Amino acid sequence: MAEPPPSPAAAPLPNWVLVRRLFGLAWRYRLHCIGVLLLQLVLLTMGIAGLSFTGLGIDYIRSQVEGVPLGDNPLHLAPPADWPPLHVLGLLAGLILVFALSRAVLNYAYAVSINKLVQQKLVVDLRAQVYDKLQRLSFRFFDANTTGSIITRVTGDVQAVRMFVDQVLMQSVIMLISLSVYVVYMMSLHPGLTLACLATTPLLAVISIWFSHKIQPEYARNRTLFERMVQSLAESIQGIAVTKGFGREDEDRAKFDASNQAVFDQQRGIFWRVSLFSPAVGLLTRINMLVLLGYGGWLVMQGHLPLGTGLIVFAGLLEQFSGQVNSVATLVNSVQQSLIGARRVFEILDAPVEVQSAPNAVRRPRLTGAVRFDRVSFAYTGITPVLREISLEVKPGQCVAILGATGAGKSVLMSLVPRFYDPTAGCLLIDGLDARRLHLDDLRRNIGLVFQESFLFSNTVGANIAFGHPEATPEQIIKAAKIAAAHDFIMALPKGYDTVLGESGSGLSGGQRQRLAIARAVLLEPAILLLDDSTAAIDSETEHEIFEALERAISGRTTFIVAHRLSTLRRADFIIVMEDGRIVQRGTHEELMRVPGPYLRVARLQLVDGRELQSPAPDKEVSP
Amino acid sequence: MSPPTGKVGQLTLAGQQQDEADEIQFKPLEWGLIRRLFTYTEPVKRKLFWLVGLTLTRAVQLPLLAWAVGFIISGPVADRDLPLLFWALGGYLLLAVSTDGLFHFRQRYALEIGETVVSALRAEIFAKMQRQPMSFFHRIKLGRIIGRVTSDVESLRVGIQDVFFVSMVQGGQMIVAALVMAWCDWVLFLVVVAMAPILWGVNRHFRVRLSRESRAATESFSRVTATLAESVNGIRVTQGFVRQETNAGLFRNLLNAHSRFNIALARTSAILVPLLELNSQFFIAILLMVGGWRTFHDLMTMADLIQFFFLANLFFSPIATLGTQYNNALIAMAGAERVFRLIDATPDWVDDPAAVDLPDSGREGAARGAAVEFRSVTFGYDPAQPVLHGVNFAAAPGQTVALVGHTGSGKSSIINLVAKFYLPTHGELLIDGREVRTITSRSLHRQMGMVQQQNFLFTGTVLDNIRMSRPEATDEDVREAARRLDCLDLLEALPRGLLTEVGERGAGLSVGQRQLICFTRALLADPRIVILDEATSSIDALTEARLQKALVELLRGRTSFIVAHRLSTIRHADCVLVLDQGRIIERGTHAELLARGGHYAELYAQFVQMEDAARPPSFS
Repeated sequence: MAEPPPSPAAAPLPNWVLVRRLFGLAWRYRLHCIGVLLLQLVLLTMGIAGLSFTGLGIDYIRSQVEGVPLGDNPLHLAPPADWPPLHVLGLLAGLILVFALSRAVLNYAYAVSINKLVQQKLVVDLRAQVYDKLQRLSFRFFDANTTGSIITRVTGDVQAVRMFVDQVLMQSVIMLISLSVYVVYMMSLHPGLTLACLATTPLLAVISIWFSHKIQPEYARNRTLFERMVQSLAESIQGIAVTKGFGREDEDRAKFDASNQAVFDQQRGIFWRVSLFSPAVGLLTRINMLVLLGYGGWLVMQGHLPLGTGLIVFAGLLEQFSGQVNSVATLVNSVQQSLIGARRVFEILDAPVEVQSAPNAVRRPRLTGAVRFDRVSFAYTGITPVLREISLEVKPGQCVAILGATGAGKSVLMSLVPRFYDPTAGCLLIDGLDARRLHLDDLRRNIGLVFQESFLFSNTVGANIAFGHPEATPEQIIKAAKIAAAHDFIMALPKGYDTVLGESGSGLSGGQRQRLAIARAVLLEPAILLLDDSTAAIDSETEHEIFEALERAISGRTTFIVAHRLSTLRRADFIIVMEDGRIVQRGTHEELMRVPGPYLRVARLQLVDGRELQSPAPDKEVSP
Repeated sequence: MSPPTGKVGQLTLAGQQQDEADEIQFKPLEWGLIRRLFTYTEPVKRKLFWLVGLTLTRAVQLPLLAWAVGFIISGPVADRDLPLLFWALGGYLLLAVSTDGLFHFRQRYALEIGETVVSALRAEIFAKMQRQPMSFFHRIKLGRIIGRVTSDVESLRVGIQDVFFVSMVQGGQMIVAALVMAWCDWVLFLVVVAMAPILWGVNRHFRVRLSRESRAATESFSRVTATLAESVNGIRVTQGFVRQETNAGLFRNLLNAHSRFNIALARTSAILVPLLELNSQFFIAILLMVGGWRTFHDLMTMADLIQFFFLANLFFSPIATLGTQYNNALIAMAGAERVFRLIDATPDWVDDPAAVDLPDSGREGAARGAAVEFRSVTFGYDPAQPVLHGVNFAAAPGQTVALVGHTGSGKSSIINLVAKFYLPTHGELLIDGREVRTITSRSLHRQMGMVQQQNFLFTGTVLDNIRMSRPEATDEDVREAARRLDCLDLLEALPRGLLTEVGERGAGLSVGQRQLICFTRALLADPRIVILDEATSSIDALTEARLQKALVELLRGRTSFIVAHRLSTIRHADCVLVLDQGRIIERGTHAELLARGGHYAELYAQFVQMEDAARPPSFS
């Protein structure tokens, strides 16, 4: 429909609410989270111990060779004095190996465990939840959002949410623990040296955060430009017949080149920033090393610090420390990204399901199909009504044809019957009951739908026909296909009912897809049948076949059919002509042919072809 | 009769039918491809030259810095030589500043060169592709071209900006570290060297496994996305048929399957990373034992032992990096091959270099149209299977030719030939008396207006879309064209009038509204040849009634070819060609053909009979 789609505008969630809810999400997996954190703590301790063994080894060799006395160290490790030197070294080497091996095993366990938590539980749960909710949202939501943006919510945005758990929450706890462990250990080695070496750390953190703050919008912009470039490419190919047909290849290429150049130009700024940032960080790290070598070296000379367990261990710790500080920027980023993602995910999870069964809904597994519109109005946005005070009564088994220009409200009128939308005013009665009081599943299972675009899934022909009733027997499927005049062409397909259709049913002609859609609808043996514009885009030979299919499908059911062809219009029990959301004409074909109006205009256009030559009797008056 | 056993166990099979036989992931290094890739750096030759110099410098600077740390600790610090410590620290500072200062250029130049190549490749792919005739676009899938321009070209960027230069730095670092170590103590150096191949082997093994698994995970993810896309697009069907519960269950299965791929990937990488770390710890243990023993026996100095602690990492860490880069190089090779294959694809045909422009003769009146003549034209999309056999007919300037026939009878093929989207296999097609091969495609297309059933609109406003047929047209020209088609009021009734954005594939507009834009676009081009391919079949009856007059306006004085299944359009044609299996079986005006009582009359009768079948008595 051409109406501007509304946006489900609710006030955006404030950040603190988001954070609270994200914490709540993480809390659901708390046991797993705590286990993972404990594992990380063990790993950290073992790392420091391993480093200390190395330092001790150096100091020990040094004491044996150069007679430098073994200093004390924070872990108070002292090699047994009465052992032969090589045995001591063997012990140390063995310890280093054992620690390294167990660290490797634990690291493996840690990585697997955190991945199981996020990939197997969190992401799957969240995606399934979003998907489930998506399917229940009313059409307004789908009118207001493009397919691409909805897909992103289930894919990228969910990933952003899980990022909050493993890359923000867990990571910051890990970072906090390890930074304090490092600082405590270094302080116990030598407080002055620790302070001197960490003097540049706040600067490093500030630079990292500032940089990522500056570069993020640039990257975001770059993504947009890149997507635009790909879009321009995709359109050029999809519209190649148009471009070539008008001989406008040069203009099209200029358009693509411009979008390509835009990416290029924008990248240069990013390159400059990146290549200023990484050398700066590198230099700061090396200045730390310089301070350590200068001050630490002097301390070693003075005998205040052992060489191995002191200086070399310090150098190792410092390196890991800078690594952690560097990732503060990543953390800050992750917070921003996960909040953006979370907002979009929660938006879906919180979206009210506008159309749903009332709590005390009436169950009616079989409907007779009486439909009455009682002064029904409808508007998408609430400003411009698309339907105005429609009153219409259709008895069970009757067929109503709807004629109208694009945007007159034909499709909307039909959408109200299965409650894809609810009327804004007035009342829709089905079997004498307000449609809102009927159980939604019962209502929809009693309605067979054939949409304008006859959407098919990339699945087998059989599965597509059985879409509304997956447990249907092969006999039922074949029966439905026969009613829809589809059985013969299905059998001519390479694998009959097992033929897999290409994406969105490609590989079939429009008429064939339409007949599958009809088969899908009649399989449910619905009391009400809605046929939207189903014969518009089909050539006359297939139209002939569909016509038969429709004939069989319609009989005995309450039918609403949007039609343009006289052939279809005349067979209806009555016809309504819609203009601007109103019913401007109603009656049988014969009645409408007697009054001047839009119906007569359409009829004339189609009748000039041959009525006057072929069987002039009933329509003589309309000959030109 | 085969029993219809639908795969109801799956919501859709989308994304599972991949016929990507040529999408290999790796390809051995190939000198020709590498050289060709580097020809794209020609515009930034000087930068490349400097970059190589900077890279070599860095390859020496990095090991020098590590050596300096080892030297300071094992030298002045261990020996308590304060003045030497100051000099050494000064030297270290100078080295650090120069290293990081030069790194700015090394990094920026590499990124800029990478982007230059990528950008040039994209532009070339686009330009080459556009030169391809229509047959190319019927063969190739959109996703494949996008894959070339995005992921393949990105893999080439990595190949250019990283693989070569990073490998150079890392390789250099390894060599310098090896030299210093060999100079310090050759026995320990041999131990280090012996470990290198093991490390390389382990690394390669896991990298290959990682790439394979990550690809499997990507593929399974594309199934998730494809299913999701179908679910969103088919939401009306799903809700209408109350399938939400079933779909949710099936989607969850798909998610679980995807998570299994992810976990497998995580497991492999969870082995590789600790293994690499284990290696360096293993080496330290050996160093302590062997080095300690050698030091105790005065075969090695304490200073050299300390040096080894710092240099060993410098030697080992490049192995993992080089492994990654090697992997990237193989991926880039596979990407390069695909990209160049697309660039090199020879068009089925191109305009004859001797072709001249078709003069745009006559401004108004009957002479405005072009004369079109088919002389025993035979044509097949696959030359071995002709779909048109010896077609002969002539359309005088200004005539309207209607093409009638069943699906597959050759209507669209005739139109494709008139539009020079394809060339006849045999026979001659004359436009204004010139053989179509001697006319440039562009000059012909500029004099042509085409409206197809698949009305395609580009992202942009309604105005942009109409104007694309004649970019120099003013807003007023556009309005005038719409006015002449009697649809200006319909276009202006859109939410923002002519400035309404038509989103992805013209979403937000109805089929009818989009078709009106296409008609206006065709009229604005003021064409001499008009082609309407099922152009009105998707327009609603009321709009169509309005458009009848407009069509007369569009067709007046122009030579036109119409494929339509509504008899109202065909009736007014100067000539109706009835086609069957690629042959013209009847020709004449509507009245003549009816009077003849042949095939056309039969088709017509079918149409009328359908009307009769719909008479009220048969129903209700």
